[in-house]
Amino acid sequence: MAGSPIFLVGLFYWSHLKRRRGSRNLLAVAAGLAALGWAALVLAALGPAVCAAQNAPTRVVIDETDRKINVPAEVRRIVSIAPSVTETIYALGAEARLVGDTDYCDDPPEAKTKPHVGALLNPSFEAILALKPDLVISSAINRPETVLALERLGVPVYATDPRSVEGTVDSIEGLGELIGAERAGKMLAAQLRARLDNLHRRLAGRPPKRVLFVVWEDPLISVGPNTFLADALRQAGAESVVETTQDWPKLSLEEAVRLQPEALVFASAGAGTKSDDYDGLRERPGWGALEAVKQGRIAVVSDALDRPAPRMIDAIEQLARQLHPEAFGAQEGKR
Amino acid sequence: MNAPGSISPQAASPGMPEKQAPPARLKVEQASYAYSATDRDAPLFALGPASFEVRPRELVAILGPNASGKSTLLRLLAGVLPPLSGRVQIEGVEASQLEPRARAQRVALVQQESALLFPLRVWEYVLQGRYPYGRRLRFESQEDCVMAGNALAQVGAEHLRDRWMDQLSGGEKQRVILARALAQQPLLLLLDEPTQHLDIGGKVELLRRLRRLADENRYAVVVVTHELNLAAEFSDQVVLLHRGKCLRVGPPADVYTRELLEPVFETSLEVEISSRGRPRVILRGNPEADSAGLDDSSVPEPS
Amino acid sequence: MQPLTIRRIVLTCAVLAAVLFAVSVISLKLGAYPMSARDVVLTLVRRAIGHTDAIPSDFRLVIFGLRLPRIALGILVGVALSVSGAGFQALLRNPLADPYVLGVSSGAALGAILSLVFTPHVPLAMQGAAFLGAAATIAAVYFLGRRGGQLDSATLLLAGILSASFLSAIIMFLMTTLSGRDLRGMAFWLMGDLSTAPPDWNLLGSLYVVLLAAVGAIYTTSSDLNLILTGEQEARHLGVNVGRVKLVVYVSASLLTGLAVSVSGSIGYVGLIVPHVMRMLFGSDYRILIPTTALGGAIAIVAADTLARTVVAPTELPVGAMTALAGAPVFIYLLRRRLP
Repeated sequence: MAGSPIFLVGLFYWSHLKRRRGSRNLLAVAAGLAALGWAALVLAALGPAVCAAQNAPTRVVIDETDRKINVPAEVRRIVSIAPSVTETIYALGAEARLVGDTDYCDDPPEAKTKPHVGALLNPSFEAILALKPDLVISSAINRPETVLALERLGVPVYATDPRSVEGTVDSIEGLGELIGAERAGKMLAAQLRARLDNLHRRLAGRPPKRVLFVVWEDPLISVGPNTFLADALRQAGAESVVETTQDWPKLSLEEAVRLQPEALVFASAGAGTKSDDYDGLRERPGWGALEAVKQGRIAVVSDALDRPAPRMIDAIEQLARQLHPEAFGAQEGKR
Repeated sequence: MNAPGSISPQAASPGMPEKQAPPARLKVEQASYAYSATDRDAPLFALGPASFEVRPRELVAILGPNASGKSTLLRLLAGVLPPLSGRVQIEGVEASQLEPRARAQRVALVQQESALLFPLRVWEYVLQGRYPYGRRLRFESQEDCVMAGNALAQVGAEHLRDRWMDQLSGGEKQRVILARALAQQPLLLLLDEPTQHLDIGGKVELLRRLRRLADENRYAVVVVTHELNLAAEFSDQVVLLHRGKCLRVGPPADVYTRELLEPVFETSLEVEISSRGRPRVILRGNPEADSAGLDDSSVPEPS
Repeated sequence: MQPLTIRRIVLTCAVLAAVLFAVSVISLKLGAYPMSARDVVLTLVRRAIGHTDAIPSDFRLVIFGLRLPRIALGILVGVALSVSGAGFQALLRNPLADPYVLGVSSGAALGAILSLVFTPHVPLAMQGAAFLGAAATIAAVYFLGRRGGQLDSATLLLAGILSASFLSAIIMFLMTTLSGRDLRGMAFWLMGDLSTAPPDWNLLGSLYVVLLAAVGAIYTTSSDLNLILTGEQEARHLGVNVGRVKLVVYVSASLLTGLAVSVSGSIGYVGLIVPHVMRMLFGSDYRILIPTTALGGAIAIVAADTLARTVVAPTELPVGAMTALAGAPVFIYLLRRRLP
């Protein structure tokens, strides 16, 4: 950056020069130089398209959005641009090969120490390039334009796109195979499937609880049936009471009271109250009319419920325990 | 040649020998106009027919109460409106049929000023008067600058050249606006109530200047005004309008009679002749109230 | 009395072009990918003389695939927004007019939303739809803004503001009733964003052709605009074809706005402030105002975008945030200077 002060001084001097009549010639010379510089820049810019060279041996892989990608046979440097992917990589034990993640990758906490490449919706392509990745892994949270742009820069991008809980487990297994952690992937997937089966057995025969999942309190926003969250709820033995085609329907409290869910579900990092003091809900106008509030049937789970990564299963189990405590041998009662 | 104060000698007296009378620069023959809301309705307002001529070095005043059609007549003279009947000709060419730029080279219409949005220097403003000459996207030539300088000199505003327009006083701004019109090198100079925002001293100064421009620079000047006495003092001819009708055209002495003026302005008045032969109107109205000589308020006083 | 000469215009623009060049070169050097000034110069020189293979592929990617296209896009948007702002200020006889006042950006936003819903993954669909939305709004406001067959400044302003409000209401309705997932792209677009996939050079080339045509069209009316600004009637009496001039300025300025908004979303303040700053520096004559405003706008956007992507690297801020942060204080300063 040593050149910049010189530039600044030059600019300053320039604007001073402009006022002095006698330096018209100097200005003309400067203008001529600038014109030459422009011509050079334009010439430099035009020309054949730029693409990156690929030297290492590659294999063809199809990602979860049905795109064909050329991936190096050995994946040594991975950049993750989604928190769920980061979490999965750590769970697969491959974090040594993770060279970069986003500003929002906070789980596990060590992920925060990795070099960052920016935000989720617009990660910095330059930062990604600077890390010289063999592979970038994205998820549904990223924009398709981002994936396209990285492709055009010659960086292979594997897009994960799990649509359901079971799909997530498959995706985790697929990710393991992709990055050369096949055994870890298979083991982790088997564990997660086992836990899910266990859960299904415990909940077998019990009718799903009718719940209202509160994404946001004010205005009251819940989830639609086609979302990932709705599937997670079903796995936990719950069913969202809201009938809608939207993914994030906004309700009035009256509507919620009319539906009278058996329980309310909050995800702890996104519920919008100042503290985890859900008992205070009873005093709030409108909320007090909900039976679930009056009887304290409020379930709080971690927000991993919405992240297609291993800890999602923890959150599902946590929710199932709160909604169907009798299936786990605990007393049914107030929280 | 015509000293201020004398009556122009042409046309009116048949017995006089035919001096080198210059041809009429502006000829209005039975020109009329009418406004209506739609084509089929009856006209809301009708003007004319009116006939008169203006020669170089003449200053003609168009007088009348509000809504008498003065501005409409002026716009007919400017060629902005085509006459419904009759003709308006500038040096033999029908005014309304001239191409806008060609018209702008012949007629300068000075309107009441509008506020400027962005700061502008006086000389830039006056230079805009050269627009009708040259291509559309133009850069002013040396000649343009000379013409603009002359225009400023003609109104005695050369010293204002580098000032900002919004820093000028009312009278100075009036002069600069006039200079821009003169920069067009027009044959005919039209002004629509130019003295409205000026104080009494300013009004007199403007009329004097117009008189001098007519005399020394050979402009033909037509002024729409409310100033009865100033018009009488400085003009060669007066056109008196009332509710769209052209009642009388002629030298002030002919037009300023009590019989004509009282019904038009709906106020009682008296007409005197000054020592120089110019008529002067004195408003009577309420007998208890005072009335000053040069107090030309045309607000009708209750009689 | 020094009238405006072509020589003065060219010289002033040359100086501004030199400033733009300097800003662009600085922008080429700065970024999340570490490059020294020497790297930049070498890369440029090598490319210019044809030794493309000698350039490390990463440098090539970063400079010619990322930074240079972004600078080119920034210049395009800067020129388009500031010239259209100057045009609208003259057309509407209002120093507070900016490129969005006539609702063009709301129309473009509506087009963008609709494309996100119906053709979500088609490349460039969003930009194309945004431009169509802008064009439709331009036509609608034109027909609403006429009075007696000609564009009337006050009526036009009213029609534009009403359209903008109406379109914004529709946009809000759509955003709440449609699935939330698909519309994430809108957030950035609404704030002004040059960071989406850098366009390819062919497309940029065609955009530049349109840009130059529209700016050229406005420039041919600059003498007329000078007169119109002292009063429409006065201008007519001097021989200006006021109706034709208004139409040309309206169409060109709206095209420029539509162009800028469809590629980069709504970037604010530039169209409003750059013309005023240039007036303060070089005078209100549109014959010099248009070219200097164009260059000034380019400088502003390239500088703002460079800041936006380096200030908290690797996080990239939206360009619109930068222009607002810088623009608001400048605007206040300008307002205070104008008060006597």
